[in-house]
Amino acid sequence: MFAVSVLAMERFFALLTFLAGGGAIALVLARVLPSGAQLIDMIRPARLWLAWLVAAVSMAGSLYFSESAHFAPCKLCWYQRIAMYSLALLLLIAAVRRDSGFRRYAIPLASIGALLSAYHYLIEWNPSLEGATGSCDITVSCTAPWFRQFGFISLSLMALCGFTAIIVLLSIGEGASEPSERSNEDS
Amino acid sequence: MTKRPARPAPPPPPAKKSIWLWVAIGAVIAIALGIAVWSTTGNDPKVSVGTTGTDNSSSSAAETQPVTVVGTALAPPPQSGADTAIGTTPPILKGFTFAGAPIDITPGGRAKMVVFLAHWCPHCNREIPVIEAWAAGGGLPANLDIIGVSTGVAADRDNYPPSAWIVKMAWKWPVMADSAQSDAALAYGVAGYPTFAIVGADGKVKVRNSGELPVADLDAMVKKALAS
Repeated sequence: MFAVSVLAMERFFALLTFLAGGGAIALVLARVLPSGAQLIDMIRPARLWLAWLVAAVSMAGSLYFSESAHFAPCKLCWYQRIAMYSLALLLLIAAVRRDSGFRRYAIPLASIGALLSAYHYLIEWNPSLEGATGSCDITVSCTAPWFRQFGFISLSLMALCGFTAIIVLLSIGEGASEPSERSNEDS
Repeated sequence: MTKRPARPAPPPPPAKKSIWLWVAIGAVIAIALGIAVWSTTGNDPKVSVGTTGTDNSSSSAAETQPVTVVGTALAPPPQSGADTAIGTTPPILKGFTFAGAPIDITPGGRAKMVVFLAHWCPHCNREIPVIEAWAAGGGLPANLDIIGVSTGVAADRDNYPPSAWIVKMAWKWPVMADSAQSDAALAYGVAGYPTFAIVGADGKVKVRNSGELPVADLDAMVKKALAS
């Protein structure tokens, strides 16, 4: 049977991180540049499903690394999981219901996740910021990443790019052809 | 009271543009998986494990080596309160260097500071230069030996292999390669990396400390341990 190695999966999710991070940057640029309106119009109808896809793939990756690769999650990983797993479920419901008003709840949740993963990534490179004991736990440590693909992509950076992509996707407002958030909420 | 219809409006049929968007995303994901598999085929790291001959006097060169523990393992240090291992005799550790030469850590004889280090641990990477600076500055007493133990070895984590890492870090003292199951670390009750364990000339544990120490604290810890 064809089996994909853990190393291959690390690289696969690292490449998806480039995709999520690059996509988020492209969408931000499209929002500020006049020539980006076409890209925004193309993404707009699918933005909830795309945000759910990012959350679902992030959750799948997280479960793969903990349950199959046996990379035990640290404390900060668990906090990020709370945000991402919730988003994976709730964004699916929002996408099915075409409830774009859900972004008012999802963006704060994704922002908390993004802040946690940014801090996590920061202490991976600057362990002294963690303070207290200054040691790596024998089983799992927030300051010691399980891997760094391409020298810098760790699980926390993957999560950061995922949360950022979700925030940017949900920040795209309705087009003229779509019902407004208020009317959708009232419906 | 707000009037709420039972169901939201049915979704309009997907636009042709949206279909191409999903096709493009699916294609990019498939290409990413293909690149990941292709670029890593045959590169999956494995921890090399030393194998001893029938007389156990040497082992093959490897990143982890068999460790024999003789005696009772120390309990991990408590979260708070006094360390119950202080004043007890640690077990004898019989193991090998990365190159496969025998190396033992036996209580008694000369005082020794055993330092448990993990190649991937950022705190260990920061502490090794501190130990070296402390020793180079004349802090290392003449009656104290230092022995490193490379433990927690993982082929898919930073700075693997530890045999090259320890050279890169300019570690000057002997190193025992712990087993793949970290038998040496568990025998000393190690709960975090780096861990210092100072065993006096009388063969008793004088101090255990987990975590980074600045030069001044390291010096004070050693002086206090040797004076007790």
